[in-house]
Amino acid sequence: MKNTLFSPMHKRYVKKLKRNKIVITCAQIGVLVVFLCLWELLAQVGFIDAFLMSSPTRIWRTLADLYLNGQLFYHVWVSLFETLLGFLIGTVGGTAIAVVLWWSKPLRDVLQPYIVVLNSLPKIALGPIIIVWAGTGQKAIVTMAVLISIIVTIITMLGGFLQTSPEKILLLESMNANKMQIFFKLVFPANLSTLASCLKINVGMAWIGSIMGEYPVSKAGLGYLIVYGGQVFKMDLVMACTIVLCLLAGVMYFLVALLEKFFVKWKS
Amino acid sequence: MKPVLTFDKVSMTYYTKANETQALKDLSFDLFKGEFMSVLGPSGCGKTTLLSLASGTLKPTQGQILLDGKQVTKTSTDVGYMLQRDHLFEWRTIYKNVLLGLEIQKKMTDENVKHCERLIEEYGLKEFKNHYPMQLSGGMRQRVALIRTLALKPKVLLLDEPFSALDFQTRLHLCDDVHAIIKKEGITALLVTHDISEAISMSDRIAILSPRPAKLHRMHETNLSHHPTPLQRREDPTFAPQFERLWKEVS
Repeated sequence: MKNTLFSPMHKRYVKKLKRNKIVITCAQIGVLVVFLCLWELLAQVGFIDAFLMSSPTRIWRTLADLYLNGQLFYHVWVSLFETLLGFLIGTVGGTAIAVVLWWSKPLRDVLQPYIVVLNSLPKIALGPIIIVWAGTGQKAIVTMAVLISIIVTIITMLGGFLQTSPEKILLLESMNANKMQIFFKLVFPANLSTLASCLKINVGMAWIGSIMGEYPVSKAGLGYLIVYGGQVFKMDLVMACTIVLCLLAGVMYFLVALLEKFFVKWKS
Repeated sequence: MKPVLTFDKVSMTYYTKANETQALKDLSFDLFKGEFMSVLGPSGCGKTTLLSLASGTLKPTQGQILLDGKQVTKTSTDVGYMLQRDHLFEWRTIYKNVLLGLEIQKKMTDENVKHCERLIEEYGLKEFKNHYPMQLSGGMRQRVALIRTLALKPKVLLLDEPFSALDFQTRLHLCDDVHAIIKKEGITALLVTHDISEAISMSDRIAILSPRPAKLHRMHETNLSHHPTPLQRREDPTFAPQFERLWKEVS
């Protein structure tokens, strides 16, 4: 039921809301602009050492160079591909394992301590093992991204599945529903928002995995460029790649949030 | 007349690691076709256990439960269940919520869908058909829950304090609505409640249970069926004395 006739008071209220939003957005942009200007200014007057701290214009030049010699998109693509693959395998695989564990209580009881331990373990520690087993190529990097995201996915999704209202399950049982129907009609749709928050977490996890994976062994990617830049003291390169990373992760997060809006549309 | 639902010397004991609790002991009663019966008892006396047994989600430790003369061993589509909360699925529209049972039982025939559409229309939910549950009031949601249950054409409807989560005004109105719907569709109903006035105003007979382990303390006849609605029954001169008597027996 949409109201189409509004009082002047309502108009004023909506106007205020809009103005608030504009002020916030301006302030957000303002913070970035002030930060960049200050950084540039301090570097120009020599208050900070541009060789160590870099500066916005130097970063911009580095990015332009990378773009012009075709390096930028090559490295972006390598990292993005590893991250997306790790993200997909981690999320889908983790959810699938969570489904199996929800289904079988005995299996869940047996595996629980192992999952807890794996969750607490810093996955980076497995780096050398992964390299020895999966080689030094992209396979190892994707494995790292999967490992980091899959355990969190299992724990989050299983927790969501198990929290499904027992009364709603009773209701379906009184309708003679089998376990498969209970899962697909109730447990899974009830946890679409859990899945959405899982996806959001995994955007971050997959990036951690792929960049950390690129650090020790790789010949391409943003993580490779950052480590290379650090080793040869090209801080402009390190900073430029970090900023590209920020942008990519931000865009990915935004897309996931968009997807969530589409799937949980009943909430609005 | 043959009863629709029979409890024959039913006992139920729950076991936990540290303890065992007898909830029901030698409970027997008959529920006849078209009848509205309430079960009244002190809180924690095993009223919900009784409904779980009738619906077949629990098995009695002793005795048997008969539905249309056949022993209840598992859940059956002849029994509908209405719970304290409406438990509508938030991600489904009202229409899709009503069709849930038919989907589960793979009975989406034209005839059954038409039956649902008739129920939706007749009980004033047509304009909300494509709304989501969040957009409806508590009383309205509970009405949808009733229609979702009726969509499966149950012979017996079990009601587990379905009004207790609502405010008093809504509750009185919904009692009238639900009573009218149940009588009109000719459904046999078994209501579990701790609200004495609700039990008197809605039912033909009231089974009063003793404290745990619950036995049948007394079967009470309300003799108010000459009034068409629960609200009118509340105004009958015998209502207050009945209330007083039951109140003493329950507490």
